Amino acid sequence: MGAINIQNLTKSYADTQVLKGINLDINNGEFLILVGPSGCGKSTLMNCIAGLEEITSGDLFIGDDNVTELSPAERDIAMVFQSYALYPTMSVARNISFGLEMRKYPKHEIEATVQEVAKLLQIEHLLNRKPSQLSGGQRQRVAMGRALARSPRVFLFDEPLSNLDAKLRVEMRTEIKKLHKRLGTTIVYVTHDQVEAMTLADRIAVMKDGVVQQFSSPYEIYNDPANRFVADFMGSPSMNFVDCVVFNDKLVIESAGQRDELPIPNSEALQASGLENVILGLRPEMITEPKPYKESTYITHMQLAVQVTEPTGPDTLAFGEWNQQEIQARLSPEIGVQAENHSTIDIQVDTSKAVLFHPKSGERI
Amino acid sequence: MLRYLERSLPRLVLAPTAIAMFVCMYGFIAWTAGLSLTKSRMLPQWEFVGFDQYARLFANPRWHVALDNLLIFIALFIGISLVLGLLLAIFLDRKVRAEGTLRTIYLYPMAISFVVTGTAWKWILNPGLGIEKLVRDMGFSNFEFRWLVEQDMAIYTIVIAAVWQSSGFVMAMFLAGLRGVDESLIKAAQLDGASVIQTYWHVILPIMKPVFFGAVVILSHIAIKSFDLVQALTGGGPGYSSDLPANFMYTFAFSRAQMGLGAASAMVMLAGVLAILVPYLYSELRTKKV
Amino acid sequence: MTQSKQLMGRAFIYSLLLGFAIIYLAPLYVMLVTSFKDIEEIRTGNILALPNTLNFSAWSKAWSTACTGGDCHGLAPYFWNSIRIVVPSLVISTLIGALNGYVLAQWQFKGSNFLFGALLLGCFIPFQVILLPMAKLLAWVGLANTVPGLVSVHVIYGVAFTTLFFRNYYVAIPNELVRAARLDGAGFFAIFWHVFLPMSTPIFVVTVIWQFTQIWNDFLFGVVYSGPGTQPITVALNNLVNTSVGGKQYNVDMAAAIIAALPTLVVYLLAGKYFVRGLTAGAVKG
Repeated sequence: MGAINIQNLTKSYADTQVLKGINLDINNGEFLILVGPSGCGKSTLMNCIAGLEEITSGDLFIGDDNVTELSPAERDIAMVFQSYALYPTMSVARNISFGLEMRKYPKHEIEATVQEVAKLLQIEHLLNRKPSQLSGGQRQRVAMGRALARSPRVFLFDEPLSNLDAKLRVEMRTEIKKLHKRLGTTIVYVTHDQVEAMTLADRIAVMKDGVVQQFSSPYEIYNDPANRFVADFMGSPSMNFVDCVVFNDKLVIESAGQRDELPIPNSEALQASGLENVILGLRPEMITEPKPYKESTYITHMQLAVQVTEPTGPDTLAFGEWNQQEIQARLSPEIGVQAENHSTIDIQVDTSKAVLFHPKSGERI
Repeated sequence: MLRYLERSLPRLVLAPTAIAMFVCMYGFIAWTAGLSLTKSRMLPQWEFVGFDQYARLFANPRWHVALDNLLIFIALFIGISLVLGLLLAIFLDRKVRAEGTLRTIYLYPMAISFVVTGTAWKWILNPGLGIEKLVRDMGFSNFEFRWLVEQDMAIYTIVIAAVWQSSGFVMAMFLAGLRGVDESLIKAAQLDGASVIQTYWHVILPIMKPVFFGAVVILSHIAIKSFDLVQALTGGGPGYSSDLPANFMYTFAFSRAQMGLGAASAMVMLAGVLAILVPYLYSELRTKKV
Repeated sequence: MTQSKQLMGRAFIYSLLLGFAIIYLAPLYVMLVTSFKDIEEIRTGNILALPNTLNFSAWSKAWSTACTGGDCHGLAPYFWNSIRIVVPSLVISTLIGALNGYVLAQWQFKGSNFLFGALLLGCFIPFQVILLPMAKLLAWVGLANTVPGLVSVHVIYGVAFTTLFFRNYYVAIPNELVRAARLDGAGFFAIFWHVFLPMSTPIFVVTVIWQFTQIWNDFLFGVVYSGPGTQPITVALNNLVNTSVGGKQYNVDMAAAIIAALPTLVVYLLAGKYFVRGLTAGAVKG
């Protein structure tokens, strides 16, 4: 089975530790995404799973087998590389069949598999071509075909879409998701694109500096981030962070020359912490034009002095200041046009999903 | 066990080369260095005499002739080859017709051995029947061109033959460098009002600095090692007037059974090469890392 | 005005380029015409004059009866000596270089870069500094004055260059290919054979041509490490030219020189593009 269990994995090059005790328990058939800024160790972790890098300490299980000491070939893993890494001198068909050939599969079985995979990925007409004769999207498909052909226990994807143009990337993203639904094989997928992470994953592991910051579902990562780094990294446009003074379990905001107090959920935790200053984390979509049908205890009406607007089409981002710190609001396009002309507009702030961070450590309160 | 073997495979593959290299290059250099400190003649004998051989070497007038010749040779050979190579490369780069053919013609001497080059030029520069006779037949009956047999001039015949053989190579290096220059840079210089000559002088040539250094290193390497050309063209003569250090080393180590002295001269040659090479490699590696 | 100036410029460029082409070709021309003349013609005519008749006697003499030092069998036996030296040296040093380059570029280990640096420095060592101990070593293992001895010398000192060529070629190939092949279950040699060899044709051509010209044109190792029966053609040519039995025979000298130069010249004409690439690769890239 393709469950992956990583226990206390560390990896060091000379004096620098790039992975600092990773623990992940990935279920069979799960789509796991490793996400983080470059240099966070996500690609190294993937290479360790593949066996392409030796682990410094810790253990790695695939199914019930301890594979820590096994060579890449023995782990029964297939990988799709960022550069696709297609063998330039081999035809598409041989690229797909090479792994089977190396494992000494009988010839008719290899041929049948190649046909089957080519059909699945709709690359039958390309089988006799060389990689250099393919477009970027076609290469991407062949690279996936090569991984599929062996029906391994685990698929590894190393930023597979980053070399495609924006439109193709969205298409392929959907296709990978469909493929996963159909095959049900465990996938570990590395990306630095948080949209890709949100759309594809069953669970996401957000990494930074060789440490897993949070390992949970996309919904939880988005709405319940473990710390300021996760909150900042996931979501586009990213979350607003404002230093606030605590007053009567509420947060004091100065906006457009006025002083407002925002109610916050889970104020017990704030009380328990005894902090007088906190960082308020609030996603831009929680700061909108007034929407009468959305009244609740966590809605506050206030004003925003708009400095710049950025129309994105479905909505318009408006930049203003709270407590002399830049924030973004997400307005409807119509209000956005008004905001361009009237520098100060009425807004409503929904703090039902506001999150609070410790001003020094950045941890959640 | 098998897995260990598999992991060590890259090391195992490289091992024979590494061993051969450390024994036959660095080990042998050490051996030669050791030998140069002994009084060895016919056979190596390991009685150390300190730097006596070096003292003898630098007291030997023939060695001084060889060193002086090397300086003349290096300066002229490198200077002329660079100027000629650069000139040909620049003109070839001006989108001329039959560029391929011309390039082939300039470069073919590089495919020929120094021995053949020496043999050919020995005949062409021959005082009785060569160029001298050619010019005299054209009516200049007092024309004299006998460098090959003149003590003071023989080294210049070696320069001529060496330039003929190697300048095409310098041309190829510069041409490759010129082709690597970004077209938009030249356009920008033109828009800034620079003439063709100004563009070359202020914009293109400074970019080609690494090619210059590369060419100088290789040419001086060829110069220090040249042995066959002298052997074939002048035989070091007249007398020993056109000897280079390499010929000195060969003569003393093998023909005259003066191993210690030969070893000492070889070590001085190595020091010369390193003096040029180490700064070059150092700067190359440093720029690559930054 | 500007047009005529431009025309002048072109004319200048072309005349200069053509002038130099003639100068570069002249020695070859002189060699050729001289080789077809007889001694009398050489003495009376000038070096540029065309021969009266195409006289091949100098050629046959150079090939089969001219004296090279002690014996008088022409260059033929030495031509074959050179082939017997060049072919194995070439094949062995190229294959070793290919494997070495593959390791240094794609299977780096601790210290592999140091090894490469040491090898690179070895390309520049003046061979005079290893001549004496190598002679000792060859005598010690019983290979002095033999073809296998010369082959070993050429392989040992050629591998530095062949390794450099292949390493620089393979280093441009992304390591992800090796990774993909390892996941596909291929080992060290299988990856070399199935993935790297099929794309190595250009660098093989470059290396083979480079090694061929280097070894064929070698004089130093030939003159130091060969015996009377095993001399390569360059050494024999030098002996032939310097053997003064019965006056100078420039026509024979020139025919012999052309014979000695012919193989490398042919290779150059057939594969000049690769020859240039070898020269510049062996030269500039570190």
